[in-house]
Amino acid sequence: MFPVLLAALLLLAGGGVARAENALEQVRERGELVIGTDATYPPFESKVGGRLEGFDIDLGNQIGKELGVKVRWVNSAWDGIFPALRTGKFDLVMSGVTITDERKQNLLFSRPYFLSGQTLARRRGDRRIGSADDLPGKIVCVQQETTGQTAAEKRGLPPESIRKFETLPEALLAVRNRQGDVAVGDLPALRDLIRKGYPELEVIGGVFVQENVGIVADPRSGDLIRGVDAALQRILDDGRYGRMYALWLGEPLPAADVARLNGLAAVGGGGVDSGSAFTIRWDLLQNALPLLLRGAVTTLYITGLTLLIGTPLGLLVALARLSGFRPLSTAAAFYVEVIRGTPLLLQIFVIYFVLPAVGISLPAFVAAVLALTLNAAAYIGEIFRAGIQSIDTGQMEAARALGMDYGAAMRWVILPQTVRRVLPPLTNEAVALLKDSSLVSVIALTELTRVGRELSTNSGSPITIYLAVAVLYLAMTLPLTYLVRRLEDRWQPISRPRAKAVAAKP
Amino acid sequence: MTTTTIPGSPTNGSGPPVLAIRDLHKSFGKLEVLKGISLEMREGQVSVLIGASGSGKSTLMRCVNRLETPTQGTVRFRDTEIGPANLTRVRREIGFVFQRFNLFPHLTALENVTLAPRCVLGAPAEQAEREARELLEQVHLSAKADNYPAELSGGQQQRVAIARALALRPALLMFDEPTSALDPELVGEVLEVMRDLAAEGRTMLIATHEMGFAREVASHVMFLHLGQILEEGPPDQIFESPREARTREFLARVLGP
Ligand SMILES: Nc1ncnc2c1ncn2[C@@H]1O[C@H](COP(=O)(O)OP(=O)(O)OP(=O)(O)O)[C@@H](O)[C@H]1O
Ligand SMILES: [Mg+2]
Repeated sequence: MFPVLLAALLLLAGGGVARAENALEQVRERGELVIGTDATYPPFESKVGGRLEGFDIDLGNQIGKELGVKVRWVNSAWDGIFPALRTGKFDLVMSGVTITDERKQNLLFSRPYFLSGQTLARRRGDRRIGSADDLPGKIVCVQQETTGQTAAEKRGLPPESIRKFETLPEALLAVRNRQGDVAVGDLPALRDLIRKGYPELEVIGGVFVQENVGIVADPRSGDLIRGVDAALQRILDDGRYGRMYALWLGEPLPAADVARLNGLAAVGGGGVDSGSAFTIRWDLLQNALPLLLRGAVTTLYITGLTLLIGTPLGLLVALARLSGFRPLSTAAAFYVEVIRGTPLLLQIFVIYFVLPAVGISLPAFVAAVLALTLNAAAYIGEIFRAGIQSIDTGQMEAARALGMDYGAAMRWVILPQTVRRVLPPLTNEAVALLKDSSLVSVIALTELTRVGRELSTNSGSPITIYLAVAVLYLAMTLPLTYLVRRLEDRWQPISRPRAKAVAAKP
Repeated sequence: MTTTTIPGSPTNGSGPPVLAIRDLHKSFGKLEVLKGISLEMREGQVSVLIGASGSGKSTLMRCVNRLETPTQGTVRFRDTEIGPANLTRVRREIGFVFQRFNLFPHLTALENVTLAPRCVLGAPAEQAEREARELLEQVHLSAKADNYPAELSGGQQQRVAIARALALRPALLMFDEPTSALDPELVGEVLEVMRDLAAEGRTMLIATHEMGFAREVASHVMFLHLGQILEEGPPDQIFESPREARTREFLARVLGP
């Protein structure tokens, strides 16, 4: 039922930009060219004062002019950018995208418009890293699903030593915070970012992998790409390209570049049409499933660990809030309100990226579990508090009247009853936590959602992957709900008599 | 028990003092509920508190074991003045039976009785259980030892509550309207148990609206009116020839025409 619904939704959501062999014609009719970009990549694209700017932005606008249409830019997260293109959200993607054979399987590229390459950034003076040969044994930070990641992987590094971040700045931040040793990324982007905001880092060596940057379209937009190629040729020839280059790269265009770009004109292309992005492709699952399952295990592990620590912690929070000692109850209330009043995503960021500023630099896994635990403890604390307060005051009085101290009364009388009462809301919290744990993917943990997003980027059939991810989440949450219903049944005598109460005298 | 008693008849309570209350006041905010109560109970004495609803009977008893904190005045239990420092220890020696039973619903009848001996006195499981079974026998509930409170009638629950209160061998038993929450046909079985306890010579302080029972078991009756003991004396005197008009009015109302 649910997968069907999801499929229907995805189909409906697909009705953005038209997708057909006559894409160029449709763009002209519309009078608007929609280009997707991830504006975290200066000097190619970044958002400054609410406006997008950069080399790609200027170039894209010029291409629009050549095609006789206005350009509308859509700022979009990198790891969803190709599925969005494939499902018709944009006509083109311009985001400093490197042309690779893998990408050419599902995407169509223009001719190269920029010569780039991968390079390294380290903490200033960190002599352990001098060239790409020094990468083994180091923690390497990259932006996920970029050619930086590919370059690192091609070096044969073990997967666990590669930390994948949502944006390149986050990868640099991790290196600066000593959560990683070295960042791999495009030379122009790395140089620009470091110049503007990371004086503690430096670019080392030259380019160790040569790369060509191109404009991306859906495989079925062949005529549009031909139009783009023609426009690029004119922009290269009449000198506009050189001016943009000087403006954004901060140095004159190397004399040989135009000739080299012209020589590489055949590098683009690709885009074998592998069918609609909405077709479910079971063959994809064979390769994807082991990876997805490993992601699911990570998700379970993080969630389980969080619950294991967060539940007793939550109980302590509840006891502190109910304590008669004012400073303690105020502190607990403050803690709960702060956690409940701020987004979990922000809490994760603070613990991973901001704590290092005061000298606490945590590995991603520890930071993830810590953030989730602190978050869950606040919510679980409220559940326990409500549970304890729902126990009739006569229970505490009866226990105290028997000479039990507060602790004993809690331990033997109040809490056993509370546990039974809070079990349903606690399970809801566990289910919510399992889903919320997907947020830790922002600090480079490859849990289930993250694996799904990575796979969908290059798979050509995002819907297949997303459906599999949904099914895996259900496979984890449904048993949990079922288990608790069973437990509740077993503890029934407390809430309801097994048999009708006997009124007769014994 | 050291006092000698005549089984079945009220004791006159001539033993050593167990409870001494001096000038006890209790206010809830602006409302003064107890306005200077003084009373004394000796070992083996059965004192009954009567009075209209809201006169302060429950509050008085709850001030004794400090489920409520008195605003003013002292409560002495045997040789100790009850205060925060000795509270948990003194409470063990004062059994309290609530109007609404307050049994622990997650424990069986037997476990309700063994809980306090085990976790307050640290009694070994075996011994606590043996004694609990004897107490359940005493309240005629041996057959229900393994039932949960929800599976018992109100009368049965209150008898378990009495057994629970007895488990710590208290020197004083307090009952706060133990039969008020019961269906009329269940009142008798609880009063019967209490009658037995009185006959054993237990020291008991009872708040009740059961006048027949009060007259039968009490060695001393106190009439509480608006937070003060308006009249007190032996049951015959209070019930036959009350001196105060208020007492007469109250008795006329509860006993009917
Ligand atoms: N916790 C409390 N807060 C405020 N007022 C209270 C509280 N407990 C009792 N009272 C008030 O104190 C007065 C005496 O109450 P109490 O329960 O002692 O009377 P009672 O003689 O036991 O009556 P009943 O026969 O109905 O049980 C009542 O007016 C009641 O409303
Ligand atoms: Mg009362």
